[in-house]
Amino acid sequence: MDEYIIEMEDVSVSFGDVPVLDRVFFQVRGGEFLAILGPNGSGKTTLIKCILGLIRPDRGTVKIFGKDPWNLNHDRHRIGYVPQLISVDLAFPLLAKEAVLMGRYARIGMFRRPKQADREAARIAMERVGIADLADRPIGRLSGGQRQRVFLARALANEPEILFLDEPTTGVDPTTTESFYELLGRLHREGITIIIVSHDVGVVASHVDGVACLNRGLVGHGRPEEVLGSEEVAKMYGCDAVFFHHGKIPHIVVKRKDNGNS
Amino acid sequence: MEILSYTFMQRALIAGAFIGVLCAVMGVYVVLRGLSFIGAGIAHASFGGVAIGFFVGVNPVWTAVIFCLGIGWAIGLVSRKGNVKEDTAVGIFFASTMALGILLIGLMEGYNQDLFGYLFGSILAVTRQDVWITLGVGLGILAVVILLFKELMFVTFDPEMAEVSGIPAEKLYFLLISLVALTVVISIKVVGIVLVSALLITPAAAAYQWSEGFRRMMALAIIFSLISTTGGLFLSYWLNTASGATIVLLSTLIFFVSAIFSPRRRKKRRVAFSA
Repeated sequence: MDEYIIEMEDVSVSFGDVPVLDRVFFQVRGGEFLAILGPNGSGKTTLIKCILGLIRPDRGTVKIFGKDPWNLNHDRHRIGYVPQLISVDLAFPLLAKEAVLMGRYARIGMFRRPKQADREAARIAMERVGIADLADRPIGRLSGGQRQRVFLARALANEPEILFLDEPTTGVDPTTTESFYELLGRLHREGITIIIVSHDVGVVASHVDGVACLNRGLVGHGRPEEVLGSEEVAKMYGCDAVFFHHGKIPHIVVKRKDNGNS
Repeated sequence: MEILSYTFMQRALIAGAFIGVLCAVMGVYVVLRGLSFIGAGIAHASFGGVAIGFFVGVNPVWTAVIFCLGIGWAIGLVSRKGNVKEDTAVGIFFASTMALGILLIGLMEGYNQDLFGYLFGSILAVTRQDVWITLGVGLGILAVVILLFKELMFVTFDPEMAEVSGIPAEKLYFLLISLVALTVVISIKVVGIVLVSALLITPAAAAYQWSEGFRRMMALAIIFSLISTTGGLFLSYWLNTASGATIVLLSTLIFFVSAIFSPRRRKKRRVAFSA
């Protein structure tokens, strides 16, 4: 098995007085296809942002490729990131191919213009995710699924070894979601380590090799069928969570509780 | 044309055209990044900087440059590191710096005609030195924008993603604020403190109505802005009106025409019908 490329030890983060991550120990090996699951407000995005170096933890250590995330230098190019769709300004005047080319900007370096090789890398990335025909479309005139592929292509244009996706299929219809995960599966088979953050347990669990359940602390981490069947995960989603098995993968249905927390 | 033979008009046109280009270029970032209020805040803060210049007896442009850069960074710092929202920080700083300006003006003897020019813009107020300052500082700003074109576009579109990919998004944010501050200061002689933020925002906002690509938006913003500044200067000469106000009203007219005939609006309507 490959060695760990992400190591978190005893990591805690709080925003003001509100603890978001509480003493998290977490490792990821190269070549994994992992989902970080948890209800809204469980600290999933914060965990990813710690690994990406966007947030510094209050205590504990985070290493990616054996280095501090905020001090990666050239190893940054080994990371691809697909942010939440809602964080993207759709009114921004930008063509799909321009958005994809942005993935190359850091590699090109400051004060330099994109070269033919960079445009070629962007074109190949768009072909890889099946959107070559949308190159000249403004991002504001793409469907949710197409837009998600544009941002995936942007991450791929930099030829990353590891890919982080934050809630990649929020607001995307089930058929599109399914084909998006199939695409991720293909990229994983091509050798990219993939980490997805999601609150959508059912869909994600049937595609990934491993899940980590998060609720401020790490509740479970392992094969989907092991973790999702556990007592702790049931507790995380509240006592009303019902598990039923569909093939090998347990699915969770969460009933809405009276206080509105699902 | 007869008016082109006047030196003051030549100076105003050169400065005006150049300011038009600068405001349009920076305005694209201001509009897309949502920095309009910061731009307006810095513009009002320049009143404090100009007043300090009059008070200590140096060219107000220099004191305003230092003052506006300082205020821009302070707004950025307070809203990033402190527990204050960006618009709150702007609100506090621009009111207090204007208050400082008013206080200093009050301490000076008599009525100051030059100060009136700074507030509302005046063609006659543009000196030969102002033209050189405008060209020098302006070319510097344009050089930075051209050199960091792709980085500035990236952080304007998606600062978080830019940061993750290794682009110093935070530093570029402060650079952007600095460029806006410099643009504001060299524009106040022609357009006036009160109105300069409009020239920063309106041509870019009008260009946005016609654009689905970044470069096109910038090119159109420059064209609209040039029409507004040069056209506004001629109109203000013929109609004997304040130059800043004429320029801003002309650019606002372009904005409304753009908003009404915008392809963006038409597209949205079509989507609404088909849905």
